[in-house]
Amino acid sequence: MHINNLTKSKFDDPNALLFRGVTAKLQPADRIALIGGSGTGKSTLLRILSLLESFEEGTIALEDRSSTEWKPHSWRRKVSYVAQKPIMRSGTVGFNLRTVSQLHNLPFDEELARKYMAAVGLGQTDWNKQAGDLSGGEQQRLALVRSLLLQPDILLLDEITSSLDPGSKQAVESLLLEWVTGQSDPSARAYVWITHDLEQARIISNQIWFMADGGLLEQAETGAFFAKPATEQARRFIQGLKEGAKSDE
Amino acid sequence: MSNLALICTLCFVAVAAVISMRQKLGLEKEILIGTLRAAVQLLFIGYVLHFVFETSHPAFIVTIILCMILVAAWNAGAKAKHVRGIRSRIALTLACTEGLTMAILLGLGIINPTPQYIIPVSGIIIGSSMIVCGLLLNHMKREMETARGEMEMLLALGATEKQAIHDPLRRSVRASMIPTIDGMKTVGLVQLPGMMTGMIVAGADPVEAVRYQILIMFVLASSAAMTAMVLSLISYKLWFTKDARLLPLQASD
Repeated sequence: MHINNLTKSKFDDPNALLFRGVTAKLQPADRIALIGGSGTGKSTLLRILSLLESFEEGTIALEDRSSTEWKPHSWRRKVSYVAQKPIMRSGTVGFNLRTVSQLHNLPFDEELARKYMAAVGLGQTDWNKQAGDLSGGEQQRLALVRSLLLQPDILLLDEITSSLDPGSKQAVESLLLEWVTGQSDPSARAYVWITHDLEQARIISNQIWFMADGGLLEQAETGAFFAKPATEQARRFIQGLKEGAKSDE
Repeated sequence: MSNLALICTLCFVAVAAVISMRQKLGLEKEILIGTLRAAVQLLFIGYVLHFVFETSHPAFIVTIILCMILVAAWNAGAKAKHVRGIRSRIALTLACTEGLTMAILLGLGIINPTPQYIIPVSGIIIGSSMIVCGLLLNHMKREMETARGEMEMLLALGATEKQAIHDPLRRSVRASMIPTIDGMKTVGLVQLPGMMTGMIVAGADPVEAVRYQILIMFVLASSAAMTAMVLSLISYKLWFTKDARLLPLQASD
């Protein structure tokens, strides 16, 4: 995916820019952690990449075709956004898992669904239970499995472990790492993952995108970014998060 | 009714105005405008109908029905002004409902093909369909807020606009038809409908008035269903942008 010179104005003030000139490239097998302070436009960027949000200037292209040449629903089958707040369809866990097969008239791959559910620690969950009765963390994992069953090429993950306990968080991280890297054909899959957890960013990514000051300030290999951030803003951001983590302890 | 009796009906408006003033509701101006508009509009249509009934020319009947449809579409469309093209869809829906219903009524010989029957019955059909359209749009506006997450989640999973809006639309269609169906259940027990009351006051046999009222109730049920179905089918895409995103939320009006 090519992102070229993307500019987006603020929702509450169309004259002010949320970010400008965002240019980046997402390649197969990329595991990107998107980090930055609150309100810098990380979620908006992911929503734009899944064509759920408009943008003022710039282009995005997938497989060398601009987003305007795609049917939006075909694009979204390949580039799927998973929101931070999980939305359950009113019905059972099983009904939610069957969403994708129902939408696209595909046979339901129960084996794959069970494999993913087990991988995120929901192997014992009763599929006849109402999805709305699950806890926040369980819903977050179910929503992820539901999106994985779409088998997209690119997953856009918006703080999808924010309600999870450390064990479940680790399970989700392992599953997604395996999802990208454990492929016999590593040609297709990639993710962009918004996180505020630096430790998680280290584990799950091979590249960091850092957003601040109305733009995508840094794009660097993960190790290099944490060893030596190129900008003062990134240094301060990392320092701030580290201090925050210490005071939590 | 004598002119004096007609003037005396203003007492009722006065009651409303006095209550508004004493309770500081600030509705006096609205009541005055409403009173004047109701009186002028009704007197005007009375004279127009008198003329049309005399001449009985089909062109006049069609013109009156078209005017009804346009005014109703404009009025119902005000419920969702930010949805571009909604008024033309409502007009088309009302025309379909009116056309089909009238075709059945005239085709089966249920009513006589004279302006005395066609115009009042059309007014009832278009008026009640307009209310159904307004209810549908109101519910859809609410769904656009409450079910936004659900619709976006489905879009993010590659759903088409139709798939994403299916459940909210179904709930809105249901909600817009319920008042008509509820009305059928309680008619005669709770309220005596205006048309029947009017016929009885004008001296018609109550049983004859009831027969017409039954006809009207059944016509209303079918026209509510038709209107809700047609409008939802031809307008659901208007709730999305051209690139299949949900329309941005509007500040509540």
